[in-house]
Amino acid sequence: MRKTAALLVLACAAGIGAIASAQAPQARPSPLRIPFESYALPNGLRVVLAPSSVSPTVAVTAWYHVGSKNETVGKTGFAHLFEHVMFTGSGHVPYGVHDRLTEGVGGSNNGTTSRDRTTYYETVPSNYLETALWLESDRMGFLLDTLDVQKLNAQRDIVKNERRQRMDNQPYGLVGEIVSNTLYPPAHPYSWSVIGSMADLTAASEADVKDFFRLYYAPGNAILSIAGDFQPAQAKALVKKYFGAFPRGAAIVRPAAAPVTRDGETRLVYEDRVQVPRLVIVWPTVGSRNDDRFALAVLDAISAGPRTTRLTKALVYDRQLATSIAATQDSDESAGEWRLTITPRPGASLTDLETAADAILDTLKAQGPTAEEIQRATAGLELEFVKDLESNLGRSMQLADGLGYQNDAGYFQTEYQKMIAVSPADVKRVANTYLTKGRLVLSVVPIGKTEMAAKPSESTPYRRTDR
Amino acid sequence: MTGRARSFAILVLAMAGTVTLAQGTLDRSQAPTPGPPPTLRVPAWTRSTLANGAELVVSEKHDLPLVSFTVTIAGGYNQADPAARRGLADVTAAMMSEGTTTRDGEALASALQLLGTTVTVRIGGESGTVAFQCSASRLPATLDIVADMLVNPSFPAEALERLRAQRLVALVQARDQPAAIASRLFPRIVYGDAHPYGQNVTEQTLKAIARDDVVAFHRAYFRPGRALVTVVGDVHAAAAKASIEKALAAWAGGGEKPAFQYPASPAARAPTMYLADKPGAAQSTFAIGLAGPPRSTPDYYALQVMNTILGGMFQSRLNANIREEKGYSYGVSSSFAYGRGPGAFRAGGDIVSAKSDAALTEFMKELRGIRGERPITDEELSTAKDALTQRLPGTFASAQSINNAIVSLWTQGLPDDYYQQYAARIAAVRREDVVRVARQYVDLDHLVIVIVGDRATIEGPLRATRVAPISITDIEGNSVQ
Repeated sequence: MRKTAALLVLACAAGIGAIASAQAPQARPSPLRIPFESYALPNGLRVVLAPSSVSPTVAVTAWYHVGSKNETVGKTGFAHLFEHVMFTGSGHVPYGVHDRLTEGVGGSNNGTTSRDRTTYYETVPSNYLETALWLESDRMGFLLDTLDVQKLNAQRDIVKNERRQRMDNQPYGLVGEIVSNTLYPPAHPYSWSVIGSMADLTAASEADVKDFFRLYYAPGNAILSIAGDFQPAQAKALVKKYFGAFPRGAAIVRPAAAPVTRDGETRLVYEDRVQVPRLVIVWPTVGSRNDDRFALAVLDAISAGPRTTRLTKALVYDRQLATSIAATQDSDESAGEWRLTITPRPGASLTDLETAADAILDTLKAQGPTAEEIQRATAGLELEFVKDLESNLGRSMQLADGLGYQNDAGYFQTEYQKMIAVSPADVKRVANTYLTKGRLVLSVVPIGKTEMAAKPSESTPYRRTDR
Repeated sequence: MTGRARSFAILVLAMAGTVTLAQGTLDRSQAPTPGPPPTLRVPAWTRSTLANGAELVVSEKHDLPLVSFTVTIAGGYNQADPAARRGLADVTAAMMSEGTTTRDGEALASALQLLGTTVTVRIGGESGTVAFQCSASRLPATLDIVADMLVNPSFPAEALERLRAQRLVALVQARDQPAAIASRLFPRIVYGDAHPYGQNVTEQTLKAIARDDVVAFHRAYFRPGRALVTVVGDVHAAAAKASIEKALAAWAGGGEKPAFQYPASPAARAPTMYLADKPGAAQSTFAIGLAGPPRSTPDYYALQVMNTILGGMFQSRLNANIREEKGYSYGVSSSFAYGRGPGAFRAGGDIVSAKSDAALTEFMKELRGIRGERPITDEELSTAKDALTQRLPGTFASAQSINNAIVSLWTQGLPDDYYQQYAARIAAVRREDVVRVARQYVDLDHLVIVIVGDRATIEGPLRATRVAPISITDIEGNSVQ
């Protein structure tokens, strides 16, 4: 995409920025052929257009390269709290109008915050495309015009309730936060949860909102991705009309958030308001910029899930020690995690499950998977990719993520090709490279039942520092 | 390189557009005026009957090489589960994936994985489905396997024990989750143990299920005479019918749709708060409501408008007040379950424990409001109608969503031109209709108010609201006083 970017400058000088990013010709038509083009405005706003007349609707995604990793210790949860403030009205859009002109005309809207990015979207009937751009541009350009501390306080309360609903009042709801706190060193930007701590949410100030907005919510840090039933020429004109006059914004210093390795095993036991214990084992791995993630994803697909997978077959079906097992490679922008989650059958101990799971993974590390295992794990990928790209919203988000993380809106093609190219040797190599002793073993047990932990005498209680 | 050529054409147009738009400064103070709304394009479909008596609907959609296939069976666990063996339908559905007479469970799973697809068998309250999506080229091979699952399941005894054990663990886990507790308590209290809507799966009912029950359930339930087969996507109707006839040739005819007769709901009772203790809970889960009308009610459209104003959208009255204005919750809403029987009206959400009393007061205020205390504005009425009708054109976006739209007409007994008529029906709803249905169905004199939360801190404040007397229940809904 470097080349495309260079061409963009020329196009912009001529008054428009439109360069088609035509996809590489292929031997046979792939169902992943999605027509789209990407370009940039002179102020740095990157734009993706993906027209399709299948449904008379349009999805608009606004993608900002800011997430919880841009926060600092003492200000955790701020990126997500800010996301909520973005729905409280802006200079020309009174509170409530955003919902009236999206959900109120048969569409929808929402925002999501991750460690790495914050995404907002509107889906609307196709005749409301300009309206969606008016709404999205007004909060990019004029959010602070109507901001006051009451708005911030209201969203602060709501976000605290979101934390209660998703985590504090949810069985096993704190597992993700414990993993983040433990796997990464204290100042690492992935060491806190996206939703943040109650104390930090309480401390967030109006000045914080203003500083954050001015730095991160500028065209130079944003992507606008539009998918659905529209004419590209008209969309381009509208994007220029609504976003073209905003200043680029200041340069942003990105936080260092390198993948981590751990020397030895950390063992924790967390007492939760649950009756059924759970074993969670997490290995630090790599993020979305490292191609080892593809083999790690195939490794998770052959380890757990359908009854043909190694851990599920052995522990859920043959030996019946577990009721369910999940394995996932999560690839965030800067680092990743490979996680096993095991729920035991009554009477099965977490210690036995850990030992059994380790033995199965050791065999896999020694022998590698079979070609048929790889085939089973990847045969459904094409359908999965197509389904993700089928809706206007899914398409607009995939294209924005590709452009934001990989500098290539069409990266889903590359991702698919790299996934189906994973070999047994690749899987064997990543299993040996990443599934090492440097891991976290977390037992979640009923309150007062620390003896139910895996290897309880070697496990340390996890203490919450904030509630 | 056609893509590149096309992009040059686009460049020229864009330049022309830019010139006009550049004239004058941009006035952002008014929302842009939308153009005319897109016309509703309901996909076409063809109906026929298979040799074994099953109905067949095919709808072609050729933009992607995908197929969505579903066999839908009329009737669900509310018709088919014996009260003492509640959970039988669900267990039988799961047993369908445990192998056939010629493929054991693992071989079956492996074959489907290699075809890149997943077949899901589910039996809900009033219908069941055997469904998959696949690449168009894999349709015949996948159909063969689905036919085998449908006709020749082997129902291994060991699989039943494994599935039972998994469900028993899930039941224990549900007791730790406030929302799951409320979802078991609320219907049981509203409908009672004698009504299928009030019956829950329990440890006892799961333990009562025998393999013979599964075999008999399968034999009676999965019959072509009560089935609709829908195929949507990159197929040609005649060819699709031929391959389905071929694949399902062994699925012998017979069976008929159930009558959907429900016993009467329990006699209406005075409003009561049912408080289930969840010690230390950070939030209280609310479920407020009562038995409602079936989907066939002539009041359906007025009810949809009414509920959209009350609690169907983000800016509906309940969420605008209790979340956005008061900050007591991450989100509250209301809905009608409809269905063939008296599906419930239910309002609720998760409320921060310390504001349980204040939130209850606000819930009651909004329920009184929609019944007439707070007049419905023109804006509310028009927004609710716009939201409902303008949602429709976008619902036919994927093969799966078209399939769902066709199936829901059949399961709910709606006519083929339902989607074409929908906007006119909604438009015909008048303000007085909305108030009338609110008064009739949001019946404040007979509300069931279920609250799952930290009794030690919320009971006193809830009692002080004087909204209704409090009955303390265990988490299964049994009175403990």
